[in-house]
Amino acid sequence: MSNYFEYVEELFKSGEKRDPPLKGIKVLEMTHYVYGPTVGATLALLGAEVVKVEPVGEGDRFRTAALWMRMFKKANLNYLLVNANKYVITLDARNAKAREILFKLASKADVFVENLRAGLLDILGLGYAHLSKVNPKIIYVSCSGYGQYGPLSRAPSFDVSAQGIIGLAMKTGWPDVDEFYKLPDYFGDFFPAMVAVAAILAALYYREKTGKGQYIDMTQAESLFRFFYDVTYLSLTGEEIGKTGNVDPLAIASGIFATSDGKFVAIAIMDEGQLTALSKAMNVDLLGPYKGRLRTKECISELNDLIFKWASSRTLDEIMSYAKTYGFPAAPVLTDLDVYKDLWRWERGSTIEFEDRMYGKVRIPRLPIHLSATPPRVRWLGRPVGYHNRLVLKKWLGYTDEEIKKLEEEGVIGYWDQSPGMCPPDAWDIDNDPVFRGERDECE
Amino acid sequence: MSASKRDELLAKLFSPEGKPSALEGIRVVELSISNLVGSMVGGLLRELGAEVVRVEPPDGDPLRELSPYRVKVKGFGIPYLIENAGKKVVRLDLEREEDREELRKLLVSCDVVIDALKPGYLDSINLGYRSISGENPKVIYLAISPYGHFSKKAKEMSNVPDSDLTAQAYNGYPSLIGNPGIRPTPLRAGVWVAWAMAAICAVNGVLVALYERLKSGKGQFVDIATHEALAAVHTYPITVGFLFGRPRPQYGFIDYLVYPYGVFKTKDGYITIATPFDTDFRAFLKLINRWDLEPDWRYAADRVTDDVDRIVELDREIRRELMKRSSEELIKKSLSRGLLPEALRRLVGRPVIVKSYTLKETLSEEHWYIRRSILRVKVNDKEMLVPNSPFRMSETPGKMPIEKIFAQEFLTKEALAAMTSRRDEESVRTS
Repeated sequence: MSNYFEYVEELFKSGEKRDPPLKGIKVLEMTHYVYGPTVGATLALLGAEVVKVEPVGEGDRFRTAALWMRMFKKANLNYLLVNANKYVITLDARNAKAREILFKLASKADVFVENLRAGLLDILGLGYAHLSKVNPKIIYVSCSGYGQYGPLSRAPSFDVSAQGIIGLAMKTGWPDVDEFYKLPDYFGDFFPAMVAVAAILAALYYREKTGKGQYIDMTQAESLFRFFYDVTYLSLTGEEIGKTGNVDPLAIASGIFATSDGKFVAIAIMDEGQLTALSKAMNVDLLGPYKGRLRTKECISELNDLIFKWASSRTLDEIMSYAKTYGFPAAPVLTDLDVYKDLWRWERGSTIEFEDRMYGKVRIPRLPIHLSATPPRVRWLGRPVGYHNRLVLKKWLGYTDEEIKKLEEEGVIGYWDQSPGMCPPDAWDIDNDPVFRGERDECE
Repeated sequence: MSASKRDELLAKLFSPEGKPSALEGIRVVELSISNLVGSMVGGLLRELGAEVVRVEPPDGDPLRELSPYRVKVKGFGIPYLIENAGKKVVRLDLEREEDREELRKLLVSCDVVIDALKPGYLDSINLGYRSISGENPKVIYLAISPYGHFSKKAKEMSNVPDSDLTAQAYNGYPSLIGNPGIRPTPLRAGVWVAWAMAAICAVNGVLVALYERLKSGKGQFVDIATHEALAAVHTYPITVGFLFGRPRPQYGFIDYLVYPYGVFKTKDGYITIATPFDTDFRAFLKLINRWDLEPDWRYAADRVTDDVDRIVELDREIRRELMKRSSEELIKKSLSRGLLPEALRRLVGRPVIVKSYTLKETLSEEHWYIRRSILRVKVNDKEMLVPNSPFRMSETPGKMPIEKIFAQEFLTKEALAAMTSRRDEESVRTS
């Protein structure tokens, strides 16, 4: 059967489609920045109904943290993405009435997610012990740097701090240069967030079978430790691998090499079969002379020198064509712009053009988990501070317009001011917006 | 409740002893010969309680050889040990008809298939999704490969094997790392970020499909491309392309959202600093006694710009200043601000400063052993450390099966036959 790839494509395009996998699951989150919100956003893209609670006034502080401080239609586009498909409300948790509302919402939720300082919600009477009393089936998820208990649990954490505390920040750099680089783009938030999603999905599965909820204590540190094989290496050898530049210490040979046409190619040879393939491409026997020495530091560096010389006299296209013919791992080193423009991502639907009711046409990434029958779907982007207050209070709790008005007057709930990051785009007619008024849902 | 009382209660709540696992009764067949990323996926599912059967070639999987600088324990490389502990192994020669039949039986009776082989290979021997889903409509078929199992490029590149480094490169990651003033070459992230992200995406795909299957009774195809996942989850590469129409340059120590945010050298070591807000930055200036910098650099818009040359001015000043101080002094000062009440702290700001540990220092912290983040295993006379499962769940804790780390369980053909036929009876009974 030669048309395998077409068959799979057909399956994804026009195979059976079913309801979103998490349809009917209600999630309440008290989250900020990237770690916590990404957990809720992923669940929302998979069909859960997610209500995000932000503080009255400024809202989630990530709202203003736009790349190079440049706003998109008065919003931080990356905030809009990690809060897509969510209902955003505000509540002043210091206010007793607000806490009462939080309790009512929590008693209806299947999942509760928070990434505030460890122990803070306990103090506010919103800890696992409190919420599981009114809702014993709840799956309560705390996301923190180092955990809810243990001596380091009170230490503050951002993605870079977690990288620092577990020794990860000392891993990236050139061995001969006294500089260390953090992992960019908040890997220390996004990766742990996806690990937390896995814990939640497993807990939902278990609850569906047994009826039992649970408490989940997710941490950046433990998520980042999981594939950090240096830990085991150090315990066995007494030595740290440290930073190795462009060399992957798991590979027989590896690096990022300059090509003759001024580009860069990444090559990593993971096993002897691939080394044989590269030998054919380079027309040199890379296996025989090194047999028995493979994976020693000296051998890695000798092989890398040979590849370096070879690559410098070949174009990127030539090398990629060898990789396809003979079968060894090689890839061009892309930039942001290459990634954005890559038609392959558009074809697969991991980069999409999306028309949002409030922000119009945007080009954005989509969750790269391709599910043939229940694909993840972006339905709307993040919204201004308190935008869904009325809708959620009506829909989840059956509040009347008068009751809501009173809460607004008392400052229990609140809305944006005109600061960028918090407010709607210019010229957005908020008074005649039926969703803001709580008269209509986002996607009806 | 006092903090120590809370610690005690939580430690008890999260004790893993005698607890069930979330995925008990789920059988996964893992085909990831000489491809670590497939084993990472199977490894995480195993921690959640799935029974994972690994298919290996008759003379064993070359994956055993994969290890930094040939370090092996009892014949196994480190990643193989960690990812494959507790899995069952069946050795099959997929070029032989009888063995293919064995595999077919296994695939039509399991819940999840992890296909990390060359894309299209299983289909070419009539064991791909279209061959088995008829007989096993409940199967969740996870494919994980560099470019996926559909799209023109996937087909064109199907002969190119996977690696973390090439996946990093194709996700645009190394283009962001390094200091162009020193060496303007793209730089690899020092850990296996692209494979880790793809693996966790794959696990999420499988889990959500399993959950959905409880309702629909049907399986589906899950396709993960390692050369796609990292940049899509991070969101930034795509939004940069959309908003600015040009790539970010290598930025050295500098961040795109916050300054300072990164690793910094002090008189006696390294620290990480994060000053997410203007107030935090101002507090930081007071802490290093450089209020003179305040007027020029007061606002985030001054410190966070695409004009790298400009920020380098400030960066030079800050780095010079930090070199005069010890890590401990800086950390202590930032911690004292952390003791302020929340509302006040927001008002006056606080830079988050923590030590940038060497791994040795990290592993000497009691915290990780109290929480069982790191597990100890005796091997010969030494103590081997293994990262625990990150799934800290009170009812169904993730479990790294270290007790089985050196005890690979091989399935004989008889055991395999019993396994698949028992399953057949079960499905007859329930249907």
